[in-house]
Amino acid sequence: MGEAVGIRLERITKRFRGGVVAVNEVDLEVRPGEFMVLVGPSGCGKSTLLRMVAGLESVTDGTIWLGEKDVTEDLPQERDVAMVFQSYALYPRMSVRRNLGFGLRMRGAAKQERERRVAEVADVLGLDHLLDRRPAALSGGQRQRVAMGRAIVREPQAFLMDEPLSNLDAKLRVSMRAQLSLLHQRLGTTTIYVTHDQIEAMTLGQRVAVLRDGVLQQCDTPPRLFRQPVNLFVAAFIGSPSMNFVSATVSRGAVEFAGVRVPVPTGSELATADRRVILGIRPTGFGVASSNGLPTLSVVPEIVEELGDERNVIADVDAPRVDTDATRAAVDAQTADDALLLPAERARFTIRVPGDLPVTVGEPLTLSISPDRLYFFDPDSGTSLS
Amino acid sequence: MSQTVVAGRREERRPAPPPRRRRKWSRRLRSWGPGLLLVAPSLVALAIFVYGFAGWNVRMSVSSWRGLRQPNDFIGLRNYRELFVDETFRNDVRNLVVFTLVFILGSLAIGAFLALLLDKGVRGESVFRSIYLLPMAISFIATGIIWRWLLDSSTGSSTAGINKLFVYIGLDWLRSDWHKTPNMWAIAFIALPAAWSLSGYVMALFLAGLRGIPEELREAARVDGATESKVYWHVVRPLMLPVLMSAVVILTHISLKTFDLLYAIAPLDARTETPALYMWYTSFRGGFFARGAAIATLLFVAVALVIVPYIWYSVRSERRR
Amino acid sequence: MTTRTARRARGPYLRAARYLVLFLFGCLFLLPVYALLVTSLKDPASVSVVTMWELPGKLSMDSFRAVWPKLQNGFVNSLILAIPASIISSILGAANGFVLAKWRFPGADFVFPVILFGMFIPYQAILIPMFRVIASMGLNRDLSGLILVHIIYGLPITTLIFRSYFASISEELIEAAKVDGAGMLRTFFFVALPIAPPAFAVAMIWQFTSAWNDFLFGIVLTRTEYWPITVALNNIAGAQTVPFNEAMASALLACVPTVLVYVLLGRFFMRGLMAGALKG
Repeated sequence: MGEAVGIRLERITKRFRGGVVAVNEVDLEVRPGEFMVLVGPSGCGKSTLLRMVAGLESVTDGTIWLGEKDVTEDLPQERDVAMVFQSYALYPRMSVRRNLGFGLRMRGAAKQERERRVAEVADVLGLDHLLDRRPAALSGGQRQRVAMGRAIVREPQAFLMDEPLSNLDAKLRVSMRAQLSLLHQRLGTTTIYVTHDQIEAMTLGQRVAVLRDGVLQQCDTPPRLFRQPVNLFVAAFIGSPSMNFVSATVSRGAVEFAGVRVPVPTGSELATADRRVILGIRPTGFGVASSNGLPTLSVVPEIVEELGDERNVIADVDAPRVDTDATRAAVDAQTADDALLLPAERARFTIRVPGDLPVTVGEPLTLSISPDRLYFFDPDSGTSLS
Repeated sequence: MSQTVVAGRREERRPAPPPRRRRKWSRRLRSWGPGLLLVAPSLVALAIFVYGFAGWNVRMSVSSWRGLRQPNDFIGLRNYRELFVDETFRNDVRNLVVFTLVFILGSLAIGAFLALLLDKGVRGESVFRSIYLLPMAISFIATGIIWRWLLDSSTGSSTAGINKLFVYIGLDWLRSDWHKTPNMWAIAFIALPAAWSLSGYVMALFLAGLRGIPEELREAARVDGATESKVYWHVVRPLMLPVLMSAVVILTHISLKTFDLLYAIAPLDARTETPALYMWYTSFRGGFFARGAAIATLLFVAVALVIVPYIWYSVRSERRR
Repeated sequence: MTTRTARRARGPYLRAARYLVLFLFGCLFLLPVYALLVTSLKDPASVSVVTMWELPGKLSMDSFRAVWPKLQNGFVNSLILAIPASIISSILGAANGFVLAKWRFPGADFVFPVILFGMFIPYQAILIPMFRVIASMGLNRDLSGLILVHIIYGLPITTLIFRSYFASISEELIEAAKVDGAGMLRTFFFVALPIAPPAFAVAMIWQFTSAWNDFLFGIVLTRTEYWPITVALNNIAGAQTVPFNEAMASALLACVPTVLVYVLLGRFFMRGLMAGALKG
């Protein structure tokens, strides 16, 4: 196989006929051997971007480098990448064996070499006993593995994966995620992986690139995306349950909302500011009220979700709800059933509490808020002020 | 606002790639070039044999080509003008109109009727369908020959064919001279074998159309209280308009082209001649190729008037799908 | 509005009536076939137009024996014509259909209707130039001109059949083949052709029937010993003074191959029919 190569995207733009800009000046660098995840709500351009790297979409502007080579105008057949499709796209009239060997055959590998590699990959993926079956006779999980095997056998310079786990049921998806990680560790091939599921992105990616409407929002390691989101959209998109937002004002070194004043983190530029902000607190950013001197917030739980070791408490907060394009876009992507039946003025918080904390619907609950668990965003632009 | 980490590799020199614009065009060619090349022979063949020849035919129609003499002259629309005052041609056009109308109405009526009967599904449906479609597998020549004998118009003790059948079942007053009728309805009777041939096709079209209507629409109407006939009238009928249009277009263009059938049943009979037959006689018996070409051009235009909108509409609705 | 019980009571009567009508129409449709069969199988001496509908007294193959020598040549010619023409135009149609469906080039959506029109054009409109060209190239000295013509005029319908068939291949499958390194030809061979056999059946059956049943091209583009069966049939049975039994027997023989194909492979015939109405 040889050394892993990196992929570089320079100011990549895709404009479709009719004026739709699917990808807008994206700069991205995937290091050799890295597992990079592209994530974002549907329509954000992540699939288009992936297909441009594969050569299946033409590039309107910009350059794609595969290692040292400018492949922007190369046809897919001329690039050395392998792709795993969401629908697997297995050749229906070919046996698993021939499906696996097809790419090698197209590139002129000798028959012996082909057979050796196919046997090897079939062994790794547990497909030995299925080699003579046709795709129609396989289960969903088996087909997914054949699709992966087809890519692996070719030993390409890069793997491109377009939501390969989306069609699997939940449990299978989780186990395949682990398999994918192990495979990547073993093979070390540079990989670009597209998904709309931010949990998948965070668990699989060495680095994750968040896209929205064709524009790259942030590309960072999962922890940094979680703790240092660069704008409202990223903050709302990453993390499940998603971050709580509320409109607040900062003055005299503290942020005020719902009758609570929390000091701004020390050293922050907001210490001297006097302005409106959007305040974000993750569900895990609250503590149980105790006598540690932290500001407290009292809420009345409306819904309690049992998770076993933990609980989600959902409560109204007496502060204006935040409803911007960014938050709506991020939330649409995560769950489809976010019908808000509440009056629009009040914010609704989701709070993660330990399972042994006594919580009853209707009985006030006091929480503590620590300044360093707060996120601040500009209400107009959405950029982070932290 | 994007954050990317740029590795310090800018110093490495890359080989200068060829100018982007040229590579972009070469890429486009490489991507769809092979496909175009593969269909090119067919395209060229059709361009010549369909459009080239049609055009040449028009060119011939404005010359004075007759017999072996083939002048390359240009006489304008004289051939056409002569046709318009030619009594034979006018008669033929009248015949064609009558034939087309009776043929289309007959085929539509029978085909739609059979389709409605079969719509709900009967045991042995495929057998019935095969019987009604069988005539389509038979050439128009054979059809013509068979029906010539069936439409025998002898009288009295030599009554034969269908007329004889009428006698058998006691309906002798239905007896007819068929296509030997000495008036302009003679050709209408030739619509009988034509409808026999094509009703199955109409039935198949209508059946496919009826079955394409989602059952939920009909069920909703029934739940709303409609009787079966009301369901057909209010729900099914409006949705069948496209199928009806297709059937009419196809039948019309077949009717305009019909040659074999007429040639087999009643060649050289002026009463039942149509432009298609006239073109044949003028060109290949009389040698008046230029006039034949003119008739052919008129036929071409008539067919195009019907078919071009049909194709355009079909292709456009397919794209919308 | 009838009550439901009243409607249900009528149910079986309506159904019986429907069967009856369908059966009646079936008989009407088969009347000519009946006359054909019955006349061909009668003893030639006892055949007369007046007794057309009567069953044969004794069965006799004499009519066939009398007629076959005259038809034999035409029968063979039609075979030589129909089989290669249907095969070749189907192969070309498959290639065209694949490109137009899955490997489009700029203008493909305009080219398709242009090809389609060739299916509807009246043969009269091209007959004279066609005759001139084929004659001048000497292709009317045997069947090659006729075969060529049927191949070319069969291209629109075979292209249509394959195009709608290949449209069902998912785009992702084509893309997977591209990423795997297959160009257009290899994608055609490895992805499209393996699923094409049903479409081939439809195209070949339709083309075979079309070529076998054609008359106009046959009579214009060939000479006596190369006449296809339709022309031979018309010569035998078209004359006004032909014995009735010979006319029927020859018509029957001429129809046998296409009817056989229709009976055995009818569902493919149907699909060709639907495709031709642009409803495939």
